[in-house]
Amino acid sequence: MRSLLGFASGDLEVKGSAYTLGYAAVLGAACALLLTGVASFTAPYRRANADADRKRNILTVLEVPYPKKVSSEELVTIFETNVREEKSPELEIYRYVPSGDSVGKETVAVHFEGPGLWGPIRGFLALDTDMRTIRGITFYEQEETPGLGGEIAADWFLKSFVGKEIVDASGQAGIIIKGGGDQNALNEVDTISGATMTCDKVEELLNNVIEKIVQEKN
Amino acid sequence: MADKQPACMTCGSQGLCGGKGLLTLKEGAWKNNPLAIQMLGICSALAVTNRLENSLVMGAALIFVCVGSNLFVSLLRNVTPHRIRMIVEVAIIATFVILFDQFLKAFYWDMSKQLGPYVGLIITNCIIMGRAEAFALQNPPVLSIVDGVANGLGYAIVLAVIGFFRELLGSGEVMGYPILSSEWYEANQLMILAPGAFFTMGVVIALFNYLKGPEPEENK
Repeated sequence: MRSLLGFASGDLEVKGSAYTLGYAAVLGAACALLLTGVASFTAPYRRANADADRKRNILTVLEVPYPKKVSSEELVTIFETNVREEKSPELEIYRYVPSGDSVGKETVAVHFEGPGLWGPIRGFLALDTDMRTIRGITFYEQEETPGLGGEIAADWFLKSFVGKEIVDASGQAGIIIKGGGDQNALNEVDTISGATMTCDKVEELLNNVIEKIVQEKN
Repeated sequence: MADKQPACMTCGSQGLCGGKGLLTLKEGAWKNNPLAIQMLGICSALAVTNRLENSLVMGAALIFVCVGSNLFVSLLRNVTPHRIRMIVEVAIIATFVILFDQFLKAFYWDMSKQLGPYVGLIITNCIIMGRAEAFALQNPPVLSIVDGVANGLGYAIVLAVIGFFRELLGSGEVMGYPILSSEWYEANQLMILAPGAFFTMGVVIALFNYLKGPEPEENK
């Protein structure tokens, strides 16, 4: 028994297998228990933060004015007074209708998501009320390579969408992201060099949502 | 080294840390600085130092994790089976890292988003594993806490210095407050990007070694 448990062992002596297994089990259980406790304690805070973050993204893409330093509660209030959620079978739509003293133009934001190169990409596409001209775009969740694909969340790339249309001159729906393309074309955006895969995925997931928007409109 | 060992400030040479407290603190934070001298934990130091605020939070995270893991590894050092000690160390380290990560996610959401995966990656930070393996396994708990503070502090100080200069030169700001006016200072984007981190790190390491002076001959 003594050799199995190895209790009498000194510093350098090897402890018995049963002891080692038991020790690992107890330690693992203690760590797991602690982390489970902490995770369930922080869960409501994390959910509230994630929700506020999402609302902040919608407000930003809809160009609803809101103070830069704002608490989560205030943000939710601003969101609820300014933004209307619209139900639709295929799409998640948020509409901003400026009223009274609020500034800005009526804008519609459509949620989109799809697989990126490394993980899911999620964001919002903001359109004019004609459901054709892009007013803005954000990616609030993406795990693309920093410096390459991660540039999709950079200002210069997002800005290159503004004013473009989701339908080309001949009425064909879809946006094209490509290098050296015709920058003046209504539905073409310059690609990110070194991030072809990410850009292809973004193009694909944008076109998925665009197709649904066009269907919805008709 | 042994002849002129300074007495521990708090316990005066005979307390819980056996008089080695001050020495351990100096060793970790300065003489044997984990980043500038031992060149450990470089990855995160390059990645999160584009702003001073990020650097400070990351430094705080490392101090917290290093102290926590050192304390528990030290407390358990006599009952931990030698064969699985590294797994035990990783389990303890991971627990503290996740605790900190959850804390950030719950109460400092923006900071958590900015630091991204780097808080979680503290688990693989060589400094912490190194201190657990090299120090906490052989030393009593209180002294191990001091060592954890010392090494965490050593990391945090270097990170803060790098973060300060990168933010100052890269965006003309410190902690988000404009210092260098954009009227006469053109913010150098390079300092915000990865190469800026390498340059700053190199300069800091060079300065550190210059100030510390040449390595004295081994005790003979």
